[in-house]
Amino acid sequence: GDNRAAAKASTDLIAYKNVNDLSLPKDLMIQIDQKNEAVLLPIYGSMVPFHVATIRTVSSQQDTNRNCFIRIIFNVPGTPFNPHDANSLKNQGAIYLKEVSFRSKDPRHISEVVQLIKTLRRQVMARESERAERAT
Amino acid sequence: MTDGHLFNNISLGGRGGTNPGQLKIHAGGILWKKLGGGKAVEVDKSDILGVTWMKVPRTNQLGVRIKDGLYYKFTGFRDQDVASLTNFFMNNFGITPEEKQLSVSGHNWGEVDLNGNMLTFVVGSKQAFEVSLADVSQTQLQGKNDVILEFHVDDTTGANEKDSLMEISFHIPNSNTKFVGDENRP
Repeated sequence: GDNRAAAKASTDLIAYKNVNDLSLPKDLMIQIDQKNEAVLLPIYGSMVPFHVATIRTVSSQQDTNRNCFIRIIFNVPGTPFNPHDANSLKNQGAIYLKEVSFRSKDPRHISEVVQLIKTLRRQVMARESERAERAT
Repeated sequence: MTDGHLFNNISLGGRGGTNPGQLKIHAGGILWKKLGGGKAVEVDKSDILGVTWMKVPRTNQLGVRIKDGLYYKFTGFRDQDVASLTNFFMNNFGITPEEKQLSVSGHNWGEVDLNGNMLTFVVGSKQAFEVSLADVSQTQLQGKNDVILEFHVDDTTGANEKDSLMEISFHIPNSNTKFVGDENRP
């Protein structure tokens, strides 16, 4: 189905070609780079990019102490709706980053991030499944 | 300066983000002091196991691995600093820096390397990110194929980090043969 086609095509996508293509943020916080279709995550003082097509779901929640959390789940092979595709067979032996959780000081920023990721992901997946369909 | 090199704008990276400071690299070792006081890092040259250079966006990062398994990362070196410090390390410490490359492809599949306290996620033989296992409060195995690392909650650093990493998990498919039989760590 569509999911399969999209997953297959999307794994060839690359966020950045060169190290210097990344913009340098003032603050270390989760950022969305629309142009490069990337989500940048602050990990140990570095901004680590992930192409939005590697992301499966994103959600946020707030606990009773008004701490805000965001959880990003990535595509891994062998889960429902993401069957083993050409790519996971090609990458046999690879280890996948499956999930990351962050605590944030800024709930507004997090809800914005969640919306931006969802929208960008939808756009990219629609484009990729269209491209895959045209190719068949 | 004959006795080494002084840099006024070098950040130390870590769990809670980055802190700006001053770095002195001298014949006896390495000394970093946080801007405005507080934290300092002092490494004697005899404790240094190895140093690495990595090009990061707009600047260069120096990695210093020391005997007790710790790994310090200093960011903010110009290309010409890399050349002169490489000579300095070779002449004064007898250490040849290794070059590492940063992965910016945005892929979420690769390899996991364990070295000292550091866990490195490597994509296409380039480093995507590193975390320190010294900051991991708990590891869990979920199902047969997933390993979860939970990080200490750290409120002590006055760093510039707005969103803090709490948890990370790796999926290790059955097709991976590197970590078969190791039930402790990914």
